[in-house]
Amino acid sequence: MGMLNGIRVLELGGGVSAPFCGKLLADYGADVIKIETPLGGDPSRHVGPFVNNDPHPEKSIPFLYLNTNKRSITLDIFSRSGREILDSLMRTSDIVIQNMSVDEIEVLGIRPQSLEDINPRLIITSITPFGLSGPYKHFESTDIVTYALSGLMYHSGDSDREPLRNVLNQSFYVSGINAAVATTAALFQRLTSGIGQGVEVSVIECLASHLVQPVPYYEYMGAIKGRRPVRGSGFDELMPARDGYVVPSIQGSQPWSVIADLIGPSALQDEKFGTGSGRIEYGEEIKSLLIEGLSSWDRKPLFEASGEKRLVFGMAQDAGDLYDCSHLDNRGFFIDVDHPVVGLARYPGMGPKISENDSGMAKAAPLLGQHNREMFQESLGYSSEDLVDLYVCGVI
Amino acid sequence: MTSLPLHGIRVVDISRVFAMPYCGAYLADLGAEVIKIDTHYSEFVDTTRTLNGPYPDNQPLDNYWETGGTFQTLNRGKRSLTLDLRSESGLNTLKQLVQISDIFLENFTPRVMRRFGLDYPNLKTINPDLIMVSNTGYGHSGPWSDFGAMATALEPTHGTGAFMGYLDYDENGNSSEGNIPNKIANSYTDFLASWTAQLAIMTGLYNRYNTGRGTWVDLAMYQVGASFMGEGVLDYAFNGRRSRRIGNRHEYFAPHGCYKCRDRDSWVVLAIRDDCEWQIFCEIVGDPRLINNDDFKDPIIRYKYQDKLDLIINDWTSVRTAADVMELLQGRGVPCGSTINAKEMLSNPQFSDRGYFETLTHPPGSHIGQKRYTSRGWRLSGNDIKMKKPSPELGEGNTYVLSELLALPDSDILQLKNDEAIGNTLKGAAIPSVIPLDRQVDLGWIVDHD
Repeated sequence: MGMLNGIRVLELGGGVSAPFCGKLLADYGADVIKIETPLGGDPSRHVGPFVNNDPHPEKSIPFLYLNTNKRSITLDIFSRSGREILDSLMRTSDIVIQNMSVDEIEVLGIRPQSLEDINPRLIITSITPFGLSGPYKHFESTDIVTYALSGLMYHSGDSDREPLRNVLNQSFYVSGINAAVATTAALFQRLTSGIGQGVEVSVIECLASHLVQPVPYYEYMGAIKGRRPVRGSGFDELMPARDGYVVPSIQGSQPWSVIADLIGPSALQDEKFGTGSGRIEYGEEIKSLLIEGLSSWDRKPLFEASGEKRLVFGMAQDAGDLYDCSHLDNRGFFIDVDHPVVGLARYPGMGPKISENDSGMAKAAPLLGQHNREMFQESLGYSSEDLVDLYVCGVI
Repeated sequence: MTSLPLHGIRVVDISRVFAMPYCGAYLADLGAEVIKIDTHYSEFVDTTRTLNGPYPDNQPLDNYWETGGTFQTLNRGKRSLTLDLRSESGLNTLKQLVQISDIFLENFTPRVMRRFGLDYPNLKTINPDLIMVSNTGYGHSGPWSDFGAMATALEPTHGTGAFMGYLDYDENGNSSEGNIPNKIANSYTDFLASWTAQLAIMTGLYNRYNTGRGTWVDLAMYQVGASFMGEGVLDYAFNGRRSRRIGNRHEYFAPHGCYKCRDRDSWVVLAIRDDCEWQIFCEIVGDPRLINNDDFKDPIIRYKYQDKLDLIINDWTSVRTAADVMELLQGRGVPCGSTINAKEMLSNPQFSDRGYFETLTHPPGSHIGQKRYTSRGWRLSGNDIKMKKPSPELGEGNTYVLSELLALPDSDILQLKNDEAIGNTLKGAAIPSVIPLDRQVDLGWIVDHD
């Protein structure tokens, strides 16, 4: 049982942000219908990595991850007949999520004021790099550009190097979940107001909202925060251990002696290291003792020992470590998904565990146009002949 | 619409630091009544009141616990009720408040919540349709469930460092995938948790309206973080690839990266997605090494010779300002942006034009004045959503909550006072010593200051 059962969502556009928003709503039980262009479908179908490194529109790993639990129809929404079909779908839907460009939104008129006659209860969510207004609204963008112009990228990486991004399109994931938050807030409000509204999401504004330290640093003190300092004691930073990297932390409620004892070298027990100001003054000395101590630890034993001592160390894990993590497995994070082309695999599931929401079921990402027949014939009442006409004319 | 989406919803927020307090602030922006459960005992107080600052002009005053800029960002629009949960009267008062509330936010370890009898199974008996978010490092089940966590150490644990890292270069300047993980930083995972909690709350409210049932959200930040790395985990499941540390490069197209500009610590990113953008880029840069090399017209060759291309591009960017490079490239439709810092964000024309930063006027006694804050990444066309008021002073809402909302008899309030369970002045703390900004520059904590 999902908490959004009975809610129908149309997803327009493609790539990462709108599909991730759609995926989250589908995880909560909404019926999410991807509307894909008949020419190739969602652009992320053509983005790798691909299963077994075999480039194929049904084997894109980003697509397979981002589109579980959805249905797919193909429709040329820019054609007149396609638009008529879209309008009839919008009459019976609750939410439209789209990440088309500002120009496309204007051409199609997928805006609240233009759609009131079609369905006044419809919630229309747009995700654009910079928002629908402002001097940057027509700027060209990719993940790295929004990451930079949000302010977040300046703060990622090392202070003596250039800013650094994460390659997993994080700006689009963060804007996708923010879109889901605002969309469901509008859905909740509709229960009492009876009417829909527009939800406008700006990717850079979503990421800028992470900067709850750098912004007040400047606003309160005129100080500019930067990237990870390369100097200092090494605590709360990535440090080398025997089989990879760990994050030793001074956080937690334990005295210094517990931390020093865990790391190892007896010289670390010196009381002069036990205070914040001592760790500033003797930073380099601590760092070399830390490196010495950590060199005899593997990541996971150190991490688990720290947890048992009520310390909060971290460790750098890779995708394989996460996939094989018995803690995640124990919590039921992974879900078996069987896909007609790529077969059965264990997928990462929902982030939170929610008592009222079943997270144990997952339908594989849809094949391109997989649900054309059931949507057009069963839901919209088109005949087989109509479908042939629409197909031949390139509408579906 | 006449009232905000969460008008009439009451939230009890006992959480600390970043993730859940920020969630509570957003709920307040959306119209909920959010009551922050504070304490006047410094050893238990939300550390954003005491440790994080930044204090106005780097000068903590007698009321320093009201004036931290990060605290103010994370707790705007809330009321504050101080309660010492070690006293029976304090704990009972909290339970009475939960009973008349809709949402309960907390981020203690499962062990602490059980000890206080504030775990979901217990609270469900006093408020069956409660929506409760339990935000922890590792969740309420599984072998690591009793481990504490901080986002700065948690972020690499859920895998971000496998997908970010600088390239390695050999002595000839040839690059290869890097071996050293890096961090997004700025407590990245806290914000993923905050957005995740907000979504679970909205769907929980929707579900409760339809079914009458409450919800418990067991939010393990580690697991949430892993779900944001899902593409990477699935790539391992299918292809066995563990990491992808390719600096600022793209998997398929080139050039793509972050390049040095003229001014100190100033950089632009750019992305050339196809041959058409490459052609325009060459015209703008005008470097004969690019224009006269027909090989570079081929995207595969461009990708292969990125090390060489990056040097040429750096030559061009490093004598220009980031703003000029961005204007030249965006002016002709080539994706480009400067990596702006907080100072630049606050004067950036896009953020300004859209009114992204919202201003709060603080009470005269606070000595904070008017300050701008990060707002939200979204707007709702039917609502004028704004931050309503500054973060509450310690115990600001004590009388309101105890006398009005709970309508406690005077004897109960007297009991709370006698138990010293409530208070308005932080006990057992001294004005924190701060490090002068010049020294912070030396230490590498900040880049510069005005």
